Amino acid sequence: MLAKHKLAHEKAIIQYLIVDKKSIILESDDAFFSNVTKQSITSLHPFFESITTLLDLEENQEYLFSCIHLETDNRNIIADITLKTFSKEHALLIIQDLTTHYDNYQLTAQKRNESVIDSQILELKNKYLIEKEEFKNTFIANFSHEIREPLSGIITFVDILGKTNLDSEQKDYLNIINTSSNHLKHMIEDILDISKIEVGKLNLIEDSFNLSEFLEEFVFTYKIKAEEKGLTFLNTIGEKLPPQIIGDPYRLKQILGNLIDNAIKYTTKGSITLNVSLNQVRANKASIHFQIIDTGIGIEKENLDKVFTSFTQVDTTQRNKGTGLGLAIVKNLVSLMDGNISIDSEFNEGTSFALNLSFKLDTKTKDKKVEVATVEKLGKDKYHILLVENSEITQLSVLKILAAQGKFYLDIVTNPDTLIETIQNQKPDIILMDINLPNTTGDQLAIEIRQLPEKELKKIPILALTGKVFPEDLKRYKKAKINDVISKPFDEKSLLKTIHKYLK
Amino acid sequence: MNISKKIVLLGHFGVGKSSLIRRFVEDTFTDNYKVTIGVHILKKEVVISPKETVSLIIWDLEGNDDITNTRASYMLGTSGMIYVFDLTRPATYEQLESDLNFIKTNYPNIPIKVVGNKKDLVTKDFIKQNSDVFGSFTDFYTSAKANTKVNDLFSTLAKQLIS
Repeated sequence: MLAKHKLAHEKAIIQYLIVDKKSIILESDDAFFSNVTKQSITSLHPFFESITTLLDLEENQEYLFSCIHLETDNRNIIADITLKTFSKEHALLIIQDLTTHYDNYQLTAQKRNESVIDSQILELKNKYLIEKEEFKNTFIANFSHEIREPLSGIITFVDILGKTNLDSEQKDYLNIINTSSNHLKHMIEDILDISKIEVGKLNLIEDSFNLSEFLEEFVFTYKIKAEEKGLTFLNTIGEKLPPQIIGDPYRLKQILGNLIDNAIKYTTKGSITLNVSLNQVRANKASIHFQIIDTGIGIEKENLDKVFTSFTQVDTTQRNKGTGLGLAIVKNLVSLMDGNISIDSEFNEGTSFALNLSFKLDTKTKDKKVEVATVEKLGKDKYHILLVENSEITQLSVLKILAAQGKFYLDIVTNPDTLIETIQNQKPDIILMDINLPNTTGDQLAIEIRQLPEKELKKIPILALTGKVFPEDLKRYKKAKINDVISKPFDEKSLLKTIHKYLK
Repeated sequence: MNISKKIVLLGHFGVGKSSLIRRFVEDTFTDNYKVTIGVHILKKEVVISPKETVSLIIWDLEGNDDITNTRASYMLGTSGMIYVFDLTRPATYEQLESDLNFIKTNYPNIPIKVVGNKKDLVTKDFIKQNSDVFGSFTDFYTSAKANTKVNDLFSTLAKQLIS
């Protein structure tokens, strides 16, 4: 009984064959390749065709071929095949069916290989994304630099042209150029900012500044802007606000400026309100509440969650053009400052933004006021400015601005090779240094100036005049002991303000 | 005249060795990756001239990222080799030069064709940009999927084996 069942279920796993030098099977136990005696071994499978040369060997040898797939019309097996050759006998072939064993191994190998291939592909995708990101950032940086250069010229000469005798039609045209170039300038700045934010390269500075002075100047600027559009500008500045705080005044101005610019843009009648008050002071930090309210077109409830998304403009009527980046930048800057911002709006009634920002208290500086020298208060009759610049537009812009002041001599160096000699001969009061120069960079030249043997020359204030203002650029300028940076495109006010800071 | 020649396909796993063989022997292709363990052996006749035919016995070896681990018994009696790498995965061609040196040292005088496969997934520019990495070693850029240069590859090697 048992023998009968065994016979039914037993599966042969080894076949033995004797093969002569001409590849003819002399004997076979027909374990799984049956009725093969007197046939050529090559007819069983191409594997055997490729080992026929070994059958000729008249020596005692053993060859093991493991994991051979023998697919035939009758069966598919995975086998280890041993070939034994003898000096005085015919060769012996032993075929051991290990299909079950190798099938299990196949599953493991499949999983392992797929996982390795997937991780290699993922690594490549990451590498590709990083390269793409780097390309985008380099592209934006270079592109914006290339735009800043001519834009700087446009803005400066619009300023200069505005001071000449123009008829009303010409003034109208000039206003359009002015508005358009300023709009373009803001767009470039927004694109640069959002790209810096996306790669985590936007760093906040920590500077001590007088909050009431800051707000006073801010309110003054935006009151004029609002009134120019026929809107009332209201403000309530809390009395308990700390006088001197530590934070990033440039970015605070950007946050509030973007919100109020938006409020003015979307309001045609009524008012814009700015409220600033102290929430609390805790652990030497002041939490300050800012609120900007307008009586503008408002936002529908379903669109409220979209307003902080990049390149989103809820108003798609094209009446109010923009990049759609302003509020995304605001939201990111507020997050960088560990603050929070919220929005509330009624369609056709108005919008209100509320934000809370914390600043360290500066208890050491009492009512710090940065005294910027005005031309009238300066000690010398005329100052000598040396401009290192090869862009003719920038050369002309600086020349026009400084010439209008009547307080400056301007010398221009276009060939960096002659710079050191010019400095030694002319001993300028300030050096305005472009960064992108032929065969060298402004920061490299600054390093050379700082190494001059003459004490009075190596301390001359150097102001970089450049569109390259990424954090890594600023670090490089600082390392080269460049005193300050005037960002292109610059206007008359920003150029003079920075120059005056360094005049004695 | 009909003669048989054994050739082996070597290279990392997943580079498309089995796909190239399947395209050449059966003219089929599948996107589903099935790992090869051990060796599959297929045969195809290549007509060299009206009077001359070569039966290629093609050994499709399991992929290995270290060529020195290839089982020596698989290489016995080999007349030609095809070394395949995957153009989309640098890991499969980073050791190309040293792998080829190993092959040439251990199996001298055996003709070898070096193949960059999956050409359909990369651009011409990519191949140009990486010419210093694999360009000087590579004989064929193939695509088993798009059936690019597959027949050329095998018939060129077959002709070389009987010349």
